[in-house]
Amino acid sequence: MASVDSQPRFGQSVKGLLSDKVGSCSGDVIALTRQVLKGSRSQELLGQAARNMVIQEDTILHSEDSLRKMSIITTHLQYQQEAIQKK
Amino acid sequence: MAAIGDEASAMDNSARASAAQSAALNPASSGGGSSHVEAPEEAAATPPVAPKKPHTNSDGGVETAEEAVEPAEPDINELCTDMFEKMAIFLQGELTATCEDYRLLENMNKLTSLKYMEMKDISINISRNLQDLNNKYASLQPYLDQINQIEEQVSSLEQAAYKLDGYSKKLEARFKKLEKR
Repeated sequence: MASVDSQPRFGQSVKGLLSDKVGSCSGDVIALTRQVLKGSRSQELLGQAARNMVIQEDTILHSEDSLRKMSIITTHLQYQQEAIQKK
Repeated sequence: MAAIGDEASAMDNSARASAAQSAALNPASSGGGSSHVEAPEEAAATPPVAPKKPHTNSDGGVETAEEAVEPAEPDINELCTDMFEKMAIFLQGELTATCEDYRLLENMNKLTSLKYMEMKDISINISRNLQDLNNKYASLQPYLDQINQIEEQVSSLEQAAYKLDGYSKKLEARFKKLEKR
Protein backbone atom coordinates (compact mmCIF):
# COMPACT_ATOMS: atom_id res chain seq x y z
CA MET A 1 0.00 0.00 0.00
CA ALA A 2 2.10 2.91 -1.27
CA SER A 3 1.44 6.21 0.41
CA VAL A 4 1.72 9.46 -1.51
CA ASP A 5 2.90 11.28 1.60
CA SER A 6 6.02 9.19 2.17
CA GLN A 7 8.34 12.06 1.22
CA PRO A 8 9.11 14.55 3.98
CA ARG A 9 7.56 17.98 3.62
CA PHE A 10 9.46 20.95 4.89
CA GLY A 11 7.82 24.18 5.86
CA GLN A 12 4.47 22.56 6.68
CA SER A 13 2.87 22.99 10.06
CA VAL A 14 2.14 20.11 12.39
CA LYS A 15 -1.55 20.58 11.77
CA GLY A 16 -1.13 20.21 8.02
CA LEU A 17 1.05 17.12 8.41
CA LEU A 18 -1.44 15.56 10.79
CA SER A 19 -4.38 16.18 8.49
CA ASP A 20 -2.43 14.73 5.55
CA LYS A 21 -1.58 11.65 7.58
CA VAL A 22 -5.17 11.16 8.67
CA GLY A 23 -6.33 11.49 5.06
CA SER A 24 -3.79 8.98 3.82
CA CYS A 25 -4.72 6.50 6.58
CA SER A 26 -8.41 6.79 5.69
CA GLY A 27 -7.59 6.21 2.02
CA ASP A 28 -5.52 3.16 2.95
CA VAL A 29 -8.37 1.69 5.00
CA ILE A 30 -10.81 2.20 2.13
CA ALA A 31 -8.39 0.66 -0.36
CA LEU A 32 -7.84 -2.30 1.97
CA THR A 33 -11.57 -2.90 2.28
CA ARG A 34 -12.01 -2.77 -1.50
CA GLN A 35 -9.08 -5.12 -2.02
CA VAL A 36 -10.53 -7.62 0.45
CA LEU A 37 -13.86 -7.55 -1.39
CA LYS A 38 -12.14 -7.87 -4.75
CA GLY A 39 -9.99 -10.76 -3.54
CA SER A 40 -12.99 -12.73 -2.32
CA ARG A 41 -14.37 -12.72 -5.92
CA SER A 42 -17.85 -12.65 -4.46
CA GLN A 43 -19.20 -10.32 -7.14
CA GLU A 44 -18.05 -12.61 -9.98
CA LEU A 45 -19.41 -15.76 -8.37
CA LEU A 46 -22.72 -14.16 -7.42
CA GLY A 47 -23.14 -12.71 -10.90
CA GLN A 48 -22.47 -16.10 -12.49
CA ALA A 49 -24.91 -17.78 -10.10
CA ALA A 50 -27.62 -15.25 -10.88
CA ARG A 51 -27.08 -15.71 -14.64
CA ASN A 52 -27.36 -19.51 -14.33
CA MET A 53 -30.52 -19.13 -12.27
CA VAL A 54 -32.14 -16.92 -14.88
CA ILE A 55 -31.29 -19.41 -17.65
CA GLN A 56 -32.66 -22.29 -15.58
CA GLU A 57 -35.90 -20.50 -14.73
CA ASP A 58 -37.23 -20.82 -18.29
CA THR A 59 -36.68 -24.58 -18.22
CA ILE A 60 -38.34 -24.86 -14.81
CA LEU A 61 -41.42 -22.97 -16.02
CA HIS A 62 -41.68 -25.19 -19.12
CA SER A 63 -41.42 -28.33 -16.98
CA GLU A 64 -44.10 -27.06 -14.62
CA ASP A 65 -46.40 -26.28 -17.56
CA SER A 66 -45.91 -29.80 -18.97
CA LEU A 67 -46.68 -31.38 -15.61
CA ARG A 68 -49.89 -29.40 -15.25
CA LYS A 69 -51.01 -30.50 -18.74
CA MET A 70 -50.23 -34.10 -17.83
CA SER A 71 -52.34 -33.86 -14.70
CA ILE A 72 -55.27 -32.50 -16.77
CA ILE A 73 -54.93 -35.36 -19.29
CA THR A 74 -54.88 -37.88 -16.43
CA THR A 75 -58.08 -36.39 -15.02
CA HIS A 76 -59.79 -36.69 -18.44
CA LEU A 77 -58.72 -40.33 -18.69
CA GLN A 78 -60.23 -40.96 -15.27
CA TYR A 79 -63.55 -39.43 -16.36
CA GLN A 80 -63.57 -41.60 -19.50
CA GLN A 81 -62.79 -44.73 -17.49
CA GLU A 82 -65.63 -44.00 -15.08
CA ALA A 83 -68.01 -43.51 -18.00
CA ILE A 84 -66.93 -46.87 -19.49
CA GLN A 85 -67.40 -48.60 -16.17
CA LYS A 86 -70.90 -47.17 -15.75
CA LYS A 87 -71.91 -48.44 -19.13
CA MET B 1 8.93 12.90 9.55
CA ALA B 2 8.11 13.81 13.17
CA ALA B 3 11.84 14.13 13.99
CA ILE B 4 12.33 16.54 11.08
CA GLY B 5 9.37 18.57 12.33
CA ASP B 6 10.86 18.71 15.82
CA GLU B 7 14.19 19.89 14.44
CA ALA B 8 12.49 22.66 12.46
CA SER B 9 10.56 23.84 15.51
CA ALA B 10 13.77 23.80 17.60
CA MET B 11 15.48 25.95 14.97
CA ASP B 12 12.54 28.35 15.04
CA ASN B 13 12.71 28.52 18.84
CA SER B 14 16.40 29.28 18.86
CA ALA B 15 15.94 31.97 16.19
CA ARG B 16 13.14 33.58 18.18
CA ALA B 17 15.19 33.41 21.37
CA SER B 18 18.07 35.21 19.73
CA ALA B 19 15.70 37.80 18.28
CA ALA B 20 14.13 38.36 21.70
CA GLN B 21 17.56 38.81 23.29
CA SER B 22 18.63 41.28 20.63
CA ALA B 23 15.36 43.17 21.02
CA ALA B 24 15.93 43.30 24.77
CA LEU B 25 19.47 44.59 24.31
CA ASN B 26 18.59 47.32 21.77
CA PRO B 27 16.14 49.23 23.96
CA ALA B 28 18.65 49.01 26.79
CA SER B 29 21.35 50.57 24.64
CA SER B 30 19.04 53.36 23.42
CA GLY B 31 18.04 54.15 27.03
CA GLY B 32 14.63 54.67 28.75
CA GLY B 33 12.49 52.35 30.81
CA SER B 34 9.44 53.04 28.70
CA SER B 35 10.93 51.15 25.83
CA HIS B 36 11.11 48.09 28.06
CA VAL B 37 7.40 48.41 28.62
CA GLU B 38 6.76 48.98 24.95
CA ALA B 39 8.63 45.92 23.77
CA PRO B 40 6.64 43.48 25.85
CA GLU B 41 3.44 45.26 24.79
CA GLU B 42 4.39 44.82 21.19
CA ALA B 43 5.08 41.20 21.85
CA ALA B 44 1.72 40.89 23.54
CA ALA B 45 0.01 42.61 20.62
CA THR B 46 0.86 39.77 18.25
CA PRO B 47 -2.15 37.83 16.86
CA PRO B 48 -3.46 35.08 19.07
CA VAL B 49 -2.92 32.35 16.48
CA ALA B 50 0.89 32.76 16.69
CA PRO B 51 2.57 29.93 18.52
CA LYS B 52 3.35 30.34 22.19
CA LYS B 53 6.67 32.02 22.96
CA PRO B 54 8.98 29.38 24.18
CA HIS B 55 10.79 30.28 27.37
CA THR B 56 14.29 29.09 27.83
CA ASN B 57 15.63 27.60 31.01
CA SER B 58 19.27 27.50 31.71
CA ASP B 59 19.93 24.75 34.15
CA GLY B 60 23.55 23.89 34.76
CA GLY B 61 24.68 25.62 31.60
CA VAL B 62 22.28 23.64 29.33
CA GLU B 63 19.57 25.52 27.51
CA THR B 64 16.22 23.78 27.09
CA ALA B 65 13.21 24.90 25.21
CA GLU B 66 9.62 23.73 24.91
CA GLU B 67 8.03 22.81 21.65
CA ALA B 68 5.89 25.50 20.00
CA VAL B 69 2.34 24.20 19.94
CA GLU B 70 -0.56 25.69 17.99
CA PRO B 71 -3.71 26.24 19.98
CA ALA B 72 -6.15 23.31 19.49
CA GLU B 73 -9.53 23.98 17.92
CA PRO B 74 -12.34 23.78 20.41
CA ASP B 75 -14.50 21.39 18.31
CA ILE B 76 -11.71 19.02 17.23
CA ASN B 77 -13.20 16.16 19.24
CA GLU B 78 -16.56 16.51 17.55
CA LEU B 79 -14.93 16.65 14.13
CA CYS B 80 -12.90 13.51 14.85
CA THR B 81 -15.95 11.66 16.11
CA ASP B 82 -17.91 12.73 13.05
CA MET B 83 -15.12 11.62 10.76
CA PHE B 84 -14.83 8.16 12.30
CA GLU B 85 -18.61 7.70 12.32
CA LYS B 86 -18.86 8.54 8.63
CA MET B 87 -15.92 6.28 7.85
CA ALA B 88 -17.65 3.43 9.68
CA ILE B 89 -20.89 4.05 7.78
CA PHE B 90 -19.02 4.03 4.46
CA LEU B 91 -17.21 0.78 5.22
CA GLN B 92 -20.42 -0.80 6.43
CA GLY B 93 -22.10 0.20 3.18
CA GLU B 94 -19.32 -1.37 1.14
CA LEU B 95 -19.70 -4.68 2.98
CA THR B 96 -23.50 -4.54 3.06
CA ALA B 97 -23.62 -4.51 -0.75
CA THR B 98 -22.05 -7.96 -0.91
CA CYS B 99 -24.31 -9.21 1.89
CA GLU B 100 -27.39 -8.03 -0.01
CA ASP B 101 -26.22 -9.89 -3.14
CA TYR B 102 -25.94 -13.08 -1.09
CA ARG B 103 -29.41 -12.48 0.38
CA LEU B 104 -30.82 -12.05 -3.13
CA LEU B 105 -29.27 -15.32 -4.24
CA GLU B 106 -30.61 -17.03 -1.12
CA ASN B 107 -34.14 -15.78 -1.84
CA MET B 108 -33.90 -16.93 -5.44
CA ASN B 109 -32.80 -20.37 -4.27
CA LYS B 110 -35.68 -20.56 -1.79
CA LEU B 111 -38.23 -19.66 -4.46
CA THR B 112 -36.78 -22.24 -6.83
CA SER B 113 -36.92 -24.91 -4.13
CA LEU B 114 -40.59 -24.02 -3.47
CA LYS B 115 -41.34 -24.35 -7.18
CA TYR B 116 -39.61 -27.72 -7.28
CA MET B 117 -41.65 -28.87 -4.27
CA GLU B 118 -44.87 -27.89 -6.06
CA MET B 119 -43.72 -29.80 -9.12
CA LYS B 120 -42.92 -32.78 -6.93
CA ASP B 121 -46.45 -32.72 -5.47
CA ILE B 122 -47.97 -32.50 -8.95
CA SER B 123 -45.87 -35.43 -10.21
CA ILE B 124 -46.81 -37.51 -7.13
CA ASN B 125 -50.50 -36.87 -7.86
CA ILE B 126 -50.02 -37.78 -11.51
CA SER B 127 -48.27 -41.04 -10.68
CA ARG B 128 -50.99 -41.99 -8.16
CA ASN B 129 -53.75 -41.26 -10.68
CA LEU B 130 -52.00 -43.22 -13.40
CA GLN B 131 -51.59 -46.20 -11.08
CA ASP B 132 -55.32 -46.12 -10.28
CA LEU B 133 -56.11 -45.87 -13.97
CA ASN B 134 -53.89 -48.83 -14.76
CA ASN B 135 -55.59 -50.89 -12.06
CA LYS B 136 -59.07 -49.98 -13.36
CA TYR B 137 -58.09 -50.73 -16.93
CA ALA B 138 -56.72 -54.08 -15.71
CA SER B 139 -60.18 -54.87 -14.26
CA LEU B 140 -61.76 -53.92 -17.63
CA GLN B 141 -59.30 -56.00 -19.62
CA PRO B 142 -61.50 -59.17 -19.96
CA TYR B 143 -64.31 -57.10 -21.42
CA LEU B 144 -61.92 -55.47 -23.85
CA ASP B 145 -60.68 -58.93 -24.86
CA GLN B 146 -64.27 -60.04 -25.46
CA ILE B 147 -64.83 -56.98 -27.60
CA ASN B 148 -61.77 -57.84 -29.65
CA GLN B 149 -62.97 -61.42 -30.13
CA ILE B 150 -66.39 -60.25 -31.21
CA GLU B 151 -64.87 -57.92 -33.73
CA GLU B 152 -62.74 -60.72 -35.19
CA GLN B 153 -65.73 -62.99 -35.45
CA VAL B 154 -67.80 -60.30 -37.10
CA SER B 155 -65.10 -59.66 -39.67
CA SER B 156 -64.83 -63.40 -40.46
CA LEU B 157 -68.63 -63.57 -40.74
CA GLU B 158 -68.54 -60.70 -43.15
CA GLN B 159 -65.95 -62.51 -45.27
CA ALA B 160 -68.09 -65.64 -45.30
CA ALA B 161 -71.12 -63.58 -46.32
CA TYR B 162 -69.23 -62.06 -49.22
CA LYS B 163 -68.13 -65.52 -50.41
CA LEU B 164 -71.69 -66.85 -50.15
CA ASP B 165 -72.98 -63.90 -52.08
CA GLY B 166 -70.48 -64.54 -54.86
CA TYR B 167 -71.30 -68.26 -54.98
CA SER B 168 -75.03 -67.59 -55.12
CA LYS B 169 -74.55 -65.19 -58.04
CA LYS B 170 -72.55 -67.81 -59.95
CA LEU B 171 -75.25 -70.35 -59.25
CA GLU B 172 -77.94 -68.02 -60.54
CA ALA B 173 -76.02 -67.33 -63.73
CA ARG B 174 -75.56 -71.11 -64.40
CA PHE B 175 -79.25 -71.77 -63.78
CA LYS B 176 -80.30 -69.11 -66.28
CA LYS B 177 -77.92 -70.54 -68.82
CA LEU B 178 -79.36 -73.99 -68.43
CA GLU B 179 -82.93 -72.60 -68.65
CA LYS B 180 -82.21 -70.96 -72.01
CA ARG B 181 -81.15 -74.29 -73.49
